[in-house]
Amino acid sequence: MPKRSTTIAVGAAAAVVVIGGAATAIALSGSGGAGDAGGEGTTVTVRLWDEQVEEAYEESFDAFEDQNPDIDVEIEHVAYADYFDKLRTDVAGGSADDIFWVNNSYFGAYADNGNLLNIDETLGAEAKQAWEPKVVEQFTRDGALWGVPQLTDAGIALYYNRALLDEAGITPEQLNALAWSPDAAQDTFLPVLQKLTKDAAGNTADAPGFDPDAIAQYGFNASNDLNAIYLQFIGSNGGTYQDGDEFTFDDPKSVEAFQYVVDLINEHHVAPSAADTNEDGDFARNQFLQGKMALFESGTYNLKNIADSADFDWGVALIPSGPAGRVSVTNGIVAAGNADTEHPEATAKVLEWLGSEEGNSFVGASGSAIPGVVSAQQTFRDYYADQGVDIAPFFDVIDGAETIPAPRGANYGAAFAVFKPILDEVFLGRTPVQEGLEQAVDASNEAIQ
Amino acid sequence: MGATLRRREAVTAYALLAPSLFGVVAFLVLPIFVVLWLAFQDWDLLAPLQFVGLDNFSSVLTDAQFGRSLLVTLLFVLLVIPVQTGLGLFAASLLTRGLPGSTILRTIYVLPWICAPLALGVVWKWIFAPTDGALNALLGFRVEWLSNPDLALPAVAAVTIWSQVGYVTLFFMAGLTSIPDMFLEAARIDGASPWQIFWRIKVPLLRPTTFFVLVTGIISSFQVFDTVYALTPNGGPQGSTDVIAARIYYEAFDSFDLGRASVMALVLLVILVGVTLLQQLYFRKRITYEQT
Repeated sequence: MPKRSTTIAVGAAAAVVVIGGAATAIALSGSGGAGDAGGEGTTVTVRLWDEQVEEAYEESFDAFEDQNPDIDVEIEHVAYADYFDKLRTDVAGGSADDIFWVNNSYFGAYADNGNLLNIDETLGAEAKQAWEPKVVEQFTRDGALWGVPQLTDAGIALYYNRALLDEAGITPEQLNALAWSPDAAQDTFLPVLQKLTKDAAGNTADAPGFDPDAIAQYGFNASNDLNAIYLQFIGSNGGTYQDGDEFTFDDPKSVEAFQYVVDLINEHHVAPSAADTNEDGDFARNQFLQGKMALFESGTYNLKNIADSADFDWGVALIPSGPAGRVSVTNGIVAAGNADTEHPEATAKVLEWLGSEEGNSFVGASGSAIPGVVSAQQTFRDYYADQGVDIAPFFDVIDGAETIPAPRGANYGAAFAVFKPILDEVFLGRTPVQEGLEQAVDASNEAIQ
Repeated sequence: MGATLRRREAVTAYALLAPSLFGVVAFLVLPIFVVLWLAFQDWDLLAPLQFVGLDNFSSVLTDAQFGRSLLVTLLFVLLVIPVQTGLGLFAASLLTRGLPGSTILRTIYVLPWICAPLALGVVWKWIFAPTDGALNALLGFRVEWLSNPDLALPAVAAVTIWSQVGYVTLFFMAGLTSIPDMFLEAARIDGASPWQIFWRIKVPLLRPTTFFVLVTGIISSFQVFDTVYALTPNGGPQGSTDVIAARIYYEAFDSFDLGRASVMALVLLVILVGVTLLQQLYFRKRITYEQT
């Protein structure tokens, strides 16, 4: 009698194998699609990972189907944890959807391999003028655009807990003027974080009796978080993360930036221990939502969650500026067309709808994400204006400012898997910053080839 | 007449076997050959396959990280198997005494084994959490179980033992109840102590059960994936929980190097066949004490 977990373990080890078999089976059976492109009732499938946007899409596609009765749009939801594994095997097996979401880290491999529709050819080279320029730039590779911008994160900002700021006598306006610096004499950020960090006895982190082993309230979420934390520190110190596809975050300016963030955790104790945040990527957000963290640096991808779950008075301020100014990353997500679609015309029509103000506005109107179509973005601002939340800092931080490019590369996922554990050690303070970053950069550059 | 009947019976038998035979061939035999074939190819799932001869073998077999994975897996097996088998035998001998509540206990013991390991992993991750985790709250001091390279593997092994011990207990209980009473009575009449009865009579008579439990236990420990993946992704702190099945997964689905992953899967296959053969040889001679 085979044991359940044996079966599962065998299955895991044989996963490698099964996809081979599955690929063959699918190739043999044909993808069994829904009829001819010319006939009535062509079905176009759209795959994404975000549940909140999925709801907005349902409404959007209802409107589309009213205008295009001969096309039926179906949504397939795949959880983010499995999304890019499953997409890869499905593209390999020829069973991927007609349209699927990709992010900046993963689209490169598909674009290079010819799996994606060239949007400039499919919708015309002028189409992109309506879309968020930073997202268009991110998804342009070898001179062509490979997806229709659907969401943009705008920039990174500081969520704050108003009561905790009040207790420390700090105003949101003061937050907007803070500047971090590797030079302690110029650093106005750390002193504020120290005032916002308290131990169980109520001592703040700058008080002599402060007990770092019994922190009851954290000042800030310094952690091994690429998108929300260290890209901003690298950028605002004048360092670089990547040059093209090549990793460069061991340059002297980046080393200084990482050292500053790591010291916030292990030296100044104004952030949770890296053991907590390495093991649980949501640890910091949960502490903030429980009212145990004063400042939480993150993006609009946490906005809806915080707006729905925080039962205290909160707001959003600008991230601190650094020696090289205030620099944020900005990310986007696109809907890419499958180059092997059996219904190229219907797929192009759905892509055109997703890239239109009307089609994309449902996403913003529900507050779930900022639309990639620029003229549709007001719907998102309106939603939060109704909620009484000022979200301007997310936009102001990138408006007319320099940004640090988001991660990219054909094999980015492989590189990330390699450097994440190395950086975990750096943040735990077990590997010196300079040494760890050099290791991480070497290993990632080898992996991304 | 008789021959026709027999042929018809054979046809019926094969027809009845066909569904499970199809399953075995399609999902076990064929995939093994596919892996064997993939081991000689360079494939990232997107670009066309490329024949690379023995390149994957030489790169995997000289890879220090893969060597470490083998060592970690071996250490994991050594941590899990003795404890799991010992505890299973101990629990089984207590549960077969017919004490009140045994039936309920039996069910409780098996519960973790019937739960999905990935879900258990998530729950145990909460229990092990350094801040606000249940275990540290109970202990009263902070231990970073899953971030400490010396503790991560024992922690993962403990969760595995906890989830497997019910299964082992179940088999030892079946083995113990099938030992004929006459042996035990004879021993008692000869004045053997309970301790002697256990070691001299019961343990030797349990040999077939022990063989089965060890073989399946060792195989499943070598293949452990879900618990490790849920508790310590990306190989754990300093690669201390980078077991081989997880390494195969990362090679295939993070690095998208299906050729190298296939070579690793073959190495695992060879090790498991080897271990099973060795055990078979050891137990063959004295595997049963037939009741005559």
